[in-house]
Amino acid sequence: MSDKKSAVLLCTCGKQLGLSFDLLESELKKNNLTTSVTVEDLVCQEEGLAKIASLLAENEGRLVIAACTSQKIQPRIIQYLKDRGIDGTQIQYVNIREHSAWVHSDVDEATKKSLDMIRGTLARSATSVQLVPETKEIGNHVSVIGGGIAGIEAALSLSNLGYHVTLMEISDQLGGHVKHLPLVAPTGKSGVEILSGRLESVEKDSKITILTKTKVKFVTGEMGDFTIHYTAEDNTSELTLKTSAVVMAMGFKEFEPIGMEEYRYGKNPDVITQFQLSRMLTEGTLARPSDGGAVKEVVMVQCVGSRSEDYKRDCSKICCTFAIDNSLEILKQIPDAKVRVVYMDIRVPFENELVYKESREVGVDYIRGRISMVWEQEGKTRVKIYDSLMDEYLEVPSDLLVLSTAILPPDGVFALSETLGYAIEDDGHIKELYGKLRRNETRRRGVVAVGAVTRPQFVSESITDAQAGALILHNELQGGKIQAIMRGAVLNVDDCVGCSLCAQQCPRGVPLMIEQIDAEEESEDQKILFKAAIDTLNCHSCGVCQSLCPSGATQLNFLSNNQMWSEIEATLEGAGADNPVTLCFYCEECAVSTIDIAGTLKMEYPASTRLIPVPCAGRVSIIDILKAFEGGASSVMIAACETDRCHVGGTGNEIAQVQVDVARDILNAIGWKGERVDMFRMFSAEPERFTTAISEMVRRAREFGPTPVHTGTAGKWMEVGK
Amino acid sequence: MSNPVLIIGAGVAGMTAAVELADSGIKTVLVERLSTTGGNALNLYKAFPTDDCFYCFEGNRWRPGIRKCFYRSALTEQPNIDLKMNSQVEEISGLPGNFSVKLDIGPQYVDPKKCTMCGLCIEKSKAFSLVSPQCQPQAVVYDPEIEDTGTTSAAEECPTKAINLDAKSTKKIISVSDIVIATGYHEMQPVNVDEYGYGTHPNIITQLELARILDPLGETKGVLLRPSDGKPAKRVMMVQCVGSRDENYYAYCSKICCVFALKHAAILTQDHEDVEVSVVYMDIRTYDRYEKYYRDTRNAGVEYIRGRVSRIEPQDDGSLDIIVFDSLLNKYLKFSVDIFVLSSALEPSAGSSQIISSLGLKSASGFIGAINPETEVVVGNRIYACGSALGPSEVPESVTQARAVVSKILQSKE
Ligand SMILES: Cc1cc2nc3c(=O)[nH]c(=O)nc-3n(C[C@H](O)[C@H](O)[C@H](O)COP(=O)(O)OP(=O)(O)OC[C@H]3O[C@@H](n4cnc5c(N)ncnc54)[C@H](O)[C@@H]3O)c2cc1C
Ligand code: SF4
Ligand code: SF4
Ligand code: SF4
Ligand code: SF4
Ligand code: SF4
Repeated sequence: MSDKKSAVLLCTCGKQLGLSFDLLESELKKNNLTTSVTVEDLVCQEEGLAKIASLLAENEGRLVIAACTSQKIQPRIIQYLKDRGIDGTQIQYVNIREHSAWVHSDVDEATKKSLDMIRGTLARSATSVQLVPETKEIGNHVSVIGGGIAGIEAALSLSNLGYHVTLMEISDQLGGHVKHLPLVAPTGKSGVEILSGRLESVEKDSKITILTKTKVKFVTGEMGDFTIHYTAEDNTSELTLKTSAVVMAMGFKEFEPIGMEEYRYGKNPDVITQFQLSRMLTEGTLARPSDGGAVKEVVMVQCVGSRSEDYKRDCSKICCTFAIDNSLEILKQIPDAKVRVVYMDIRVPFENELVYKESREVGVDYIRGRISMVWEQEGKTRVKIYDSLMDEYLEVPSDLLVLSTAILPPDGVFALSETLGYAIEDDGHIKELYGKLRRNETRRRGVVAVGAVTRPQFVSESITDAQAGALILHNELQGGKIQAIMRGAVLNVDDCVGCSLCAQQCPRGVPLMIEQIDAEEESEDQKILFKAAIDTLNCHSCGVCQSLCPSGATQLNFLSNNQMWSEIEATLEGAGADNPVTLCFYCEECAVSTIDIAGTLKMEYPASTRLIPVPCAGRVSIIDILKAFEGGASSVMIAACETDRCHVGGTGNEIAQVQVDVARDILNAIGWKGERVDMFRMFSAEPERFTTAISEMVRRAREFGPTPVHTGTAGKWMEVGK
Repeated sequence: MSNPVLIIGAGVAGMTAAVELADSGIKTVLVERLSTTGGNALNLYKAFPTDDCFYCFEGNRWRPGIRKCFYRSALTEQPNIDLKMNSQVEEISGLPGNFSVKLDIGPQYVDPKKCTMCGLCIEKSKAFSLVSPQCQPQAVVYDPEIEDTGTTSAAEECPTKAINLDAKSTKKIISVSDIVIATGYHEMQPVNVDEYGYGTHPNIITQLELARILDPLGETKGVLLRPSDGKPAKRVMMVQCVGSRDENYYAYCSKICCVFALKHAAILTQDHEDVEVSVVYMDIRTYDRYEKYYRDTRNAGVEYIRGRVSRIEPQDDGSLDIIVFDSLLNKYLKFSVDIFVLSSALEPSAGSSQIISSLGLKSASGFIGAINPETEVVVGNRIYACGSALGPSEVPESVTQARAVVSKILQSKE
């Protein structure tokens, strides 16, 4: 594409920026990529916004705005333009305030830096393309896998939001664990009470189809076009169902303490799990399983299989409350029973503490310690308990020994992840997109997880989850008509060589490898059996696929390889042995805030630095890094976020780390100092992480001196490029 | 035009609800008592479970990325959000679908849409300040109590004429269809809990105060210093359940204080040099994956003492001697510490009881109670609540609840 000229709009921030605008204006006027240079005092106010509109009209949408952080003005500008029906998708922003004027007190240096960054951005702008809105119609059908309380609530919520829902349950009836709970804290109700109204609603709802005895085998496709492969009751052949999104609501599984010799579970019938006790209490069949005898002495053991290095390391959260509820229920049914609870810590959140207190008042005995032995004597179970507060052993009889066993992820979560593409947490539950804010979304677009399949949860939390999950899908599916700006990766299928790197590494599982049916026609050795397919509307615009693609087949439509390379070259114009420059690629989702906050706090750092924004650190390829050195950079850094904290919701930062490591190896191999390139992790709560990092890279630039490019001893890099 | 939705409180819960509703095309009025949104989150530095910054939430559904810091959340730019800062709800009457709400809207000394944070006024007068670089709206605030000679020239020279020193508060009556209560929590000031001597010695502080000390954006720039004399602090003792699980104050468990105490213990032992931490507790309640903080801090050498604090003796050198009864060892132990941190109860924020009584809602130990406890977020007829307004909660829960509220509102409108 040929280079087009852009207008430049410079903002003085109410004449408050320590920059020489005269110099910027005169220098930029000389640049052959500019049509005009305008200096405004307040781009963010009415007059400035109007100026933006007129410059866009005069320059076919090509405009470079040099002002404060785009994080703040961009939303305002977009809103202003949107209200007036003007396209602003090609505007490029340069931050000359937080990233330059506010952090460099030397006006000349700051001006020079600003000029370089604007020049670079002009080069990026020169080959930008307009991004157009797109509409996609999809079926407004959602499938819910799992018919427990979370699945039922999700189905009802989605139906209320206008979707058709298929609720798929593996057992022969809906209700999951909840229907067996005699008492659900803190509601004071039984599980059946909580369920009944909801069950009635799902059954009456004409938009909800219930499939019981249904097992989901695997799922193909992507958001808007999934196909669920399942088997139904009495039907061994596989059935399929088209759906636009999937709710994972498969609940949890109770740990079976078979291997735990010390409790004699499985050997002694009077040793049961807390959930088995719940069933007995609900069904009114509380008795000794061994002989049907009356239950007078009950010992409960907490944390069985939880908080243990041998089994599950974490706490199962609900079993303390569960045990207390059941103790109260036992005393209700058999007032003269003796209940002892052996525990490490009693963990009952908020008002459940009041229930805990109530249970102590009615005589439940809490013993901090552990079980040291269980044995049978004359047909009776006996338990020896170590009381760590009294530092003594006590021996008690037990009609029922109840184990509060760990809450584990349900079967099948892992198997489905292979085709549904969500990630799995260390503990086997479905992994959330981002722990603090995105608990119900998964890595895969169009797949949400609600209820205990994500973590042990109380009933009320599962219901909240389900309601929230329904909203998340509603946001995505927009009632079946998805409207969005086409911003993201665009694939040129002809260039694809079928390596599948994009499909393997896309943090959000967007590229699919599609079998090429007509591949047979080509000659045997050139045959490409699979090629990628990328739906730009599903893409999260990180650019990871682009940085990995060996053939340049997939590229972001707002930051192509050519745009990036020309920006690097133009930014580094003038960099050299006596003008050592540190180039920093920063992620526009995470590191940008750290750098902005350093700016707002006016934390000084060296002005020999130049900054280039990328949508995700993973967009920076080895070639981009080498191009920076070729352009004259003395050191190069990538500013990104911490492991597992990727703002695109994936592993873009880890991909970037790999690129940096490889680039470093290449540099070392050809006799450069590999430490000229590095990657740093940061978040905005600790702005000094950025200033420390960039100062270190400036130090290295100085310490290592001129690069082989500067001294003219390096070969050209073209062979590494295309 | 249908009535907008009223959201009371702009912490993470209220902000999330507002943005989600706005993105779904529903007008909202977001009323916040203070001069910046963010609520408690603005002052808490690092957050569990992700151990990165506290100040982020979902900025706007149509922007890329899965989260945005407060400063770039563009709340003031979203056409469907009417943000009312320094404001309070005075009275609510009327019926569901058409509530009549009387607002007391505080004086707008600085127009948040005009202020560019250029800093000119701050240089001229002490009355202007930046609450936090993460504040939202991104604007300076003016304190009319501080009078100095610079205020008028600041107002005159402000490049955007953002300042109006004569601004007055106004009253306004609006009609709203639904009400979302997101008024959050308050950390109890443990002044009355005599045994811990809060207020009697500068080195006895609460967890929130410790968070400020640990925060690189705070006064000490993240360096652990003794409040009494600014000397480096090396020995920290925390005591759990201050005012919680205690009939004299709050009978409930504040649910998250164990986790944030341990989060602080982890920061102290992992990010700071040679700091010793001990924690006095009854039960350590680190649910689910938060157990990791318990494991990690024990491995990092944090000492856990099951028992209770029985006496505090201030020493001349600024340190404190703490006598602890260890219920496992069944004996008294003496510790010398630099900072004594109280994990104080989380209580309903001021005004919760009025909201409860004026709207006829249920109370859950003073927090907003659900009609049916299993449906947490529905607290009345077209009245919802989310976040710590419902009881002590962590951020992930608060935002999930906010989404559930929006889901319920949209469901009722479909
Ligand atoms: C020391 C400490 C550490 C913590 N650490 C973590 C952590 O690491 N991770 C985590 O997830 N959680 C943590 N939390 C909990 C976290 O702070 C809360 O979950 C979260 O801030 C709750 O958000 P919210 O919006 O519900 O309430 P708040 O943040 O309290 O916000 C409520 C807002 O409403 C306003 N308001 C109140 N009443 C009115 C009214 N009547 N009219 C108008 N406005 C009103 C308030 O001014 C405030 O802005 C911690 C808490 C403490 C005390
Ligand atoms: S909830 Fe209680 S019983 Fe369950 S794992 Fe946690 S501490 Fe143990
Ligand atoms: S990375 Fe490039 S070449 Fe490889 S499959 Fe993807 S688009 Fe095709
Ligand atoms: S840009 Fe990122 S999200 Fe989009 S397809 Fe490529 S790797 Fe996936
Ligand atoms: S002078 Fe005006 S624009 Fe600048 S910070 Fe103060 S109020 Fe804001
Ligand atoms: S969370 Fe921990 S410190 Fe807080 S009240 Fe509960 S037990 Fe006590």
